[in-house]
Amino acid sequence: MRIDSEQDAILKGDRGEVISRALRTLVDYGTVFNAKRLVPIKSAHLAGSFGTISYGAYFHVLDQILKEGVRVKVPTTINPRPGHDISLLNRIAFIKQNALDYKLKALGVIPNYSCACYEQDNIPAAGDYLAWAESSAVVFSNSVLGARTNRNSVLIDLCSAITGYTPEFGYLLDENRSGNVAVKIKINQMDATALGFIIGQKIVNKVPVIEHFDFSRSDLKNMGAAMAAAGSIGLFHVEGITPEASDIHTAFAGSEPESTITITQSDLNSLRTKHLDNSRLVVFGCPHLTCKEASDIAAHITGKRLTKNIWLCMMPQAKSDFEKTDYYKTLDASHVSVYCHCPLAALTVQLRRKQVLTSSGKLYYYLEGTEYGTMEDCLKACET
Amino acid sequence: MITSELQGRALVAGYGSGPALVSKTAINFAAAFGRPQNAIPGRRAVINDRHHELFKQNIKGAVLLFPACIGSTFTGMVLLQIMYKKEAPLAMVVQHADPLLIAGSVLAKVWFNCGIPVVEYSREDLYALVRTGDIISVNGVNGKITIQTVR
Repeated sequence: MRIDSEQDAILKGDRGEVISRALRTLVDYGTVFNAKRLVPIKSAHLAGSFGTISYGAYFHVLDQILKEGVRVKVPTTINPRPGHDISLLNRIAFIKQNALDYKLKALGVIPNYSCACYEQDNIPAAGDYLAWAESSAVVFSNSVLGARTNRNSVLIDLCSAITGYTPEFGYLLDENRSGNVAVKIKINQMDATALGFIIGQKIVNKVPVIEHFDFSRSDLKNMGAAMAAAGSIGLFHVEGITPEASDIHTAFAGSEPESTITITQSDLNSLRTKHLDNSRLVVFGCPHLTCKEASDIAAHITGKRLTKNIWLCMMPQAKSDFEKTDYYKTLDASHVSVYCHCPLAALTVQLRRKQVLTSSGKLYYYLEGTEYGTMEDCLKACET
Repeated sequence: MITSELQGRALVAGYGSGPALVSKTAINFAAAFGRPQNAIPGRRAVINDRHHELFKQNIKGAVLLFPACIGSTFTGMVLLQIMYKKEAPLAMVVQHADPLLIAGSVLAKVWFNCGIPVVEYSREDLYALVRTGDIISVNGVNGKITIQTVR
């Protein structure tokens, strides 16, 4: 890797031990992937937002950084809090949350506390180099916004945030952004989340190009999040929809696809639970809901006789906006809770058998005892 | 006993030798190690991901061979944590190394001097040549993988 004189001085310790180590981390990390240089980034997004005792090494690094008074060098946002205050058990499991919040503040992190940072607070432009963690945000910024970030780990994100650099490899380079696998769809009732989940399972470490379908922005967000959880996709294209796929030729950069897969209605249906009655809690908002997404859900459940508990997990600013709407005022508060935390973290630590139904492919993948339903299934289940 | 040697691509330096633990399924380390029960000393490296073939197995002290890692960007942090707590595998051989897997070992090396070696070996014959329980040595400097087959 080529190191310029400024970077060389940092590595030698001119700006302190911690910055030197952070840059060393990025150099070693990039070298494995044959990065030729470090490039400046426009922003960072951190995923390490859960204050649990399980992540001692993470806290140890944070403390070392803060001891030298180092702050983030680029605008940096942070993932949601873990629902540390919703029950006694959660308070114990996330006992270090207040300490973590304090550390993040001292680092100069923007306290957006949302995985959907790209909707507000950290909105990249096409072509921007970023160093983001949070798999759902990475896949959204690459695929839907045309920005460029690798799937960076927690702590790699922080090393980039405090140095302002990321190694140039992977999705930062043109040659890795064109599609390799063609995805044909034989679907009469689209469920973008289930489609994303199945693509994620079938295609690991490739860039899928999905044949044209008129997906909404919410569809793309939920589909990408499912791909990134069930697999490791960091970039996808949809013919005629996403910015680097104006047509199929462009999406594949003039080459032929390495392979073609077909996803059918029965593939999608296989994910759906047949027992909508099993659940006690229906969760929406993984990734976090916008005000519009929450309003759309509220429009369906308001005025209905609800039989289950319902969580709407939202971006903090979107929650404030939502609370001003008529939808919010008519929701049955005895059944519906509106939160800003990460539903996955909040529910993971709960001990009772999890009877959760969700329309989120990501939550379904990670949370044991969860069943998946389409948005329609989940809305129906609320009153079943 | 048969000894054979494979040439892989050295990614993270170091040397590890021990019983092989082979998985043909990509691993989601964040799902595997992100459960409350993974906070218990001695149980930190138990794969608690119900979607995975190594469900309930402890990968501490093994040489882990697997195709790829998938899922959350917590991956590097949970791998770092098991290395930091000395409950990690001895080495890893992966068919396709991705940034999240490498992050764990690089972070452990740079910040705590405890990163485990990683070698990439992409060919499919890996699964014909190595079975769980074989004694395997991984050299993260020159990329050599030595297998002692005990069948």
